[in-house]
Amino acid sequence: MAKKVTAIIKLALPAGKATPAPPVGPALGQHGVNIMMFCKDYNARTADKVGLIIPVEISVFEDRSFTFVLKTPPASVLIAKAAGLERGSGEPKKKIVGSITKAQLREIAQTKLPDLNTVDIEAAMRTVAGTARNMGISVTD
Amino acid sequence: MSNPPWWEIQVTCPADLEDTVFWRLQELGCQGTASMAQGPEWVVVRGYLPQSERPAGLGQLTEELLQDAQASGLAQPQVVAVTLDPEDWAEHWKRHWQAQTIGERLVVLPAWLAPPLGADQVILRLDPGYAFGTGTHPSTQLCLEALEMRLDPHWRKGPLTVADIGCGSGILSLAALLLGVEQVYAVDTDPLAVTATRQNRALNHLDPRHLVVEQGSVERLLTLLPGPLDGFVCNILLDVILDVVPRLRPAVHPKTWGILSGVLTDQVPPLVAGLEKHGWMVAALWQRQGWSCLSIRPNPD
Repeated sequence: MAKKVTAIIKLALPAGKATPAPPVGPALGQHGVNIMMFCKDYNARTADKVGLIIPVEISVFEDRSFTFVLKTPPASVLIAKAAGLERGSGEPKKKIVGSITKAQLREIAQTKLPDLNTVDIEAAMRTVAGTARNMGISVTD
Repeated sequence: MSNPPWWEIQVTCPADLEDTVFWRLQELGCQGTASMAQGPEWVVVRGYLPQSERPAGLGQLTEELLQDAQASGLAQPQVVAVTLDPEDWAEHWKRHWQAQTIGERLVVLPAWLAPPLGADQVILRLDPGYAFGTGTHPSTQLCLEALEMRLDPHWRKGPLTVADIGCGSGILSLAALLLGVEQVYAVDTDPLAVTATRQNRALNHLDPRHLVVEQGSVERLLTLLPGPLDGFVCNILLDVILDVVPRLRPAVHPKTWGILSGVLTDQVPPLVAGLEKHGWMVAALWQRQGWSCLSIRPNPD
């Protein structure tokens, strides 16, 4: 019989660098997950992606065992990378700090599509464009 | 071992705003986020800041997120900051951690549990604190079992000196000593691991002279060693192992053995290739739940 899932938690963590400190400890500790075991597994599976933020979706079962799947990096990370920036604008309403092309926007939306609440690439592009706008990064043709 | 206190910043928002919230929390100084769905279209995103860094920008964060939501035509998010009980989360999982027998002779016993009466097995008491190594992970179990085989009293000859590189909680160092090794040198680049290993050394009433623990990597280890190693253990990650093992050459004699783990089964071929390139051969390989442990020795050729 399949084990019952008691919680699904998503963590956005630096690849290869998970530690028991927050956000891992509070998020998993309350569900009885062995934190150190998760960190070791996550770090091993993301060791080749160091430098990126790699979200992970963890399913916790009733016996406190867990499985996880790695997700695509947050759109903000992909946008900043495409724009060649380390960070967005502190005042995005007043200050545009960079730009990405529509082709880059489509590529990011395509990357993010499996993790978004849509299968429509145009809708995914609108979501990613919204994140870019909030970061002070414009989309050019 | 207590945690420093933290602020937990909770943002309840439409799922489509999650990436923006992540970015805003990163900008505020949070290192990573945790999120859980709240119904089909909402999500609670949590970011954390040490309490020493009072989230002065919280009002601004709230305002920015409201504007972000408005600009995207999404419902307004809610932002709440609470202080996090410094002990709860770190301790909670330990309630479920029980004594476990590993291999034929070894019992790993959480520090807060009483030792079983009349046990004729080797009891290893452990509080990992924030360091890696509880004995519950397949790679640690494989290392412990490999050590137990390697240190079988029927096979063991003479006093042995062993190194533990990336000692974490110290579980492998402690096991080596409790299974009969005379001298262990343990190193880890993480100061929390050094502290945890020293505390676990005391917990097991082991003489600090027989388990020397220092912060650092191979270079630090080489300065500690009075002579060549009889064996070493390294349970970290593929890339670290490939970096560490070649640098151990000055401390190796023709019969030195090594126990390596922390590698996924599909990482074994590149590990073996890397080891062979540097004059090592694989003597044995064990696998469990997708993880592998290798026993290696210098290639006589």
